[in-house]
Amino acid sequence: MASHIYTATHAIVLDTFREAFARKIFWGLFGLSTAMVLFFLFIMKIDIVEGAAATISMFGLQSGKEVDAARLVKQVQAGVATFLYTWGMFLAVFASAGLIPSVLEPGRIELLLSKPISRTHLLLGRFLGNLMVVSFNIVYLVAGVWLILAFKTNIWRPEFLISIVSTIFLFSILLSVVTLIGVTLESTALAVMIPAALMVISPILAQHKIMMRLLGSEWSRRMWRGLYEVLPKVYDLGKMTLDFVSDRGVESFTPVYSSAAFGAGVLALAVYIFQRRNF
Amino acid sequence: MSELAIEMNSLRKVYRSFWGGRTVLAVDGVTLRVERGTTYGLLGPNGAGKTTCVKMLLGAVHPTAGTAHLFGRDASEAEARRLVGYLPENHRFPTYLTANSMLDFHGALSGMDARARKRRIPELLELVGLGRWGGVRLGKYSKGMLQRVGLAQALIHEPRLLILDEPSDGVDPVGRKQIRDILHSLEESGVTIFVNSHLLGEVEAFCRDVAILDKGKVVLEGTVKELTAGKGYRLTVPAALPDNLRAEIARAASSMTAKDGVMEVQFSARSEANRAIDLLRGGQIEIEALTPTTSTLEDVFMRSIHG
Repeated sequence: MASHIYTATHAIVLDTFREAFARKIFWGLFGLSTAMVLFFLFIMKIDIVEGAAATISMFGLQSGKEVDAARLVKQVQAGVATFLYTWGMFLAVFASAGLIPSVLEPGRIELLLSKPISRTHLLLGRFLGNLMVVSFNIVYLVAGVWLILAFKTNIWRPEFLISIVSTIFLFSILLSVVTLIGVTLESTALAVMIPAALMVISPILAQHKIMMRLLGSEWSRRMWRGLYEVLPKVYDLGKMTLDFVSDRGVESFTPVYSSAAFGAGVLALAVYIFQRRNF
Repeated sequence: MSELAIEMNSLRKVYRSFWGGRTVLAVDGVTLRVERGTTYGLLGPNGAGKTTCVKMLLGAVHPTAGTAHLFGRDASEAEARRLVGYLPENHRFPTYLTANSMLDFHGALSGMDARARKRRIPELLELVGLGRWGGVRLGKYSKGMLQRVGLAQALIHEPRLLILDEPSDGVDPVGRKQIRDILHSLEESGVTIFVNSHLLGEVEAFCRDVAILDKGKVVLEGTVKELTAGKGYRLTVPAALPDNLRAEIARAASSMTAKDGVMEVQFSARSEANRAIDLLRGGQIEIEALTPTTSTLEDVFMRSIHG
C-alpha cells in the first residue's frame, strides 16, 4: 500500500515535470534563472579592495566610490529576494497556472480517475509536482547567486538562503489558489489573475494601521481588517524575508501562520470540490 | 470475491445546473449484473446514459441514488478499480508522452512496480502492433494507433475487467480485426469484457450478453442468442390452438406471441418449422403465413428503441 502511494506520487510528479518541459514552462523559468546567474557570474564584477571595501563594475564601467563589501553583498541579495518575491513569483504563477486545468480536460481526467488512486492523491500529487517544478528553479537561482557572490567576495551569508524557504512557501500559498480556481472554473486566465490580484492587493491591505485612521465607518474598518487578516500576507512575508536577509529583526511571525492557514484552507477546499465533482 | 464483475442496483443520475434550476435525468434506475468472465455489450442511442453508467462504475461520476459494485466492492472506493482496465471514448493522451512513457505512467498509477512495467510495456506494444513505435511521441500517432495504444494502456496491469467505450472507433478494418482477436484471447483467459458501443454488428459478433439502454433505462437485456432468436422462420397461425398442439409446437419454437387473434411462432431452424407445419396440418389448422426472418441485433435494437 505504502509502496503504491510512493509509486503513484512519483509518477504524477514526473508527469507534471514532463508536461512542464513540453510546454516550455520549466525551460522558461530555468532560462530566466540562468540569465540572472550568468549576470552575476560574468557581467557584475566585484573587486574587493583591502579586504572590506569593494568596487562594482558592469559592462566595463566601474562605480566611482568604494563601498563596504558586506553591505554590498547584503544589498544585492536583498535585491534578488525582492525580485523573486515580485516578478519571480508572478512569472512562476503565470507559467504554472495551466498545469492544474490541463489534467481536468475531458478524455484525460476520466482515465486518471479510473486508476486505483484517490482523487485527493491525484490532486495533491499534481500540486506537489507543480510546486517542485518552481522550487527547483528557486533553489537553482538563489543558491547560484549566493555561491557566486560568496566566491567573488568571500562573504558567506547563509541568511540569504532563507529566501528559498520563504519564496517556496509563498508560491505554495498562491499555488493553492491556482489549484482551487483550476478545479472549480478550469480557467488558466483566472488562475493567473486571482493570485496576481492577491499579490497586488496585499501591500495595500498591509497599510491597515494608516487605513484604520483614515476610514470613516466602523464597518469599513472591520472589512479592511478582516480582509487583511484572512488573505495571504504577501507583502508582510516579503518584508519579513527582506528583514531577515538584511539582518534586521523580524517583528512577528503571525503573517507566516495566517498565510499558511489561508493556503491550507484553500487547498482543503480545492480537494473537497474536486472530490465532489462529476467528470 | 463476488461472482459478479459488475453490479448496478437502481443506479440513478440527475445532473443539476450550478444554480439548481435545470435538471437532466441521465440514468434512471439502472440495474445490471455482469458475471465474471463474460463479454457484455451496453447498447443505446446517443444520450441514452451509457457513458454516464460507465463513469459511475469508475468513480468519475457520483450516482444520485443506487449503488454500483466492482467485484463486490463499492465502485466509489479507489481500491475497487485495481482490477479494472478502462479505455474511454474520445480519450486524450498528452501528446508530449511517448507510448513507452504513457504506459509507464498508467502502469505506475495502477500500482505496478518499475520492474513489472519495464517487462510488460514492450510485450503490450507488440500485442497491439506498435512494437516499433514505443519511443515515438503520441502526437505523431494516427487515430487508429491512438486507439490501439489506448487499449494497451487499459491492459497494462493485467486487469480482470476491461471496460471499453467504443473500442474500435476510428480504427481501420485490419486494426479492428486485431482488436477483436486481442479481446477474444482475453475472453478465453477469463477476463470480463464490458463494451459500450454503437457498432451493433461488432457487439453481436463479440458479446455474449447485451443490455439496451434508452432514455436512461434498460429497455432490453439478455443473451445475444436469446435476443436474436427471431432469426429463422415465422409461422402465423390462429391464436386458438388446441392445448396439446400448442405444447408440441412450443417445444420446437424459440418464441410464441399471441396478438390480434393470431399467434406468431418463431423458429430458428427450418426443420423445426417443417415439423410444426406437419403438426398443424395434421390437426387441420389453417396456416396464415410462413415468413423467413432475419433478425439481427440491429433489428432488436431498433424495435426496442422505437417500439
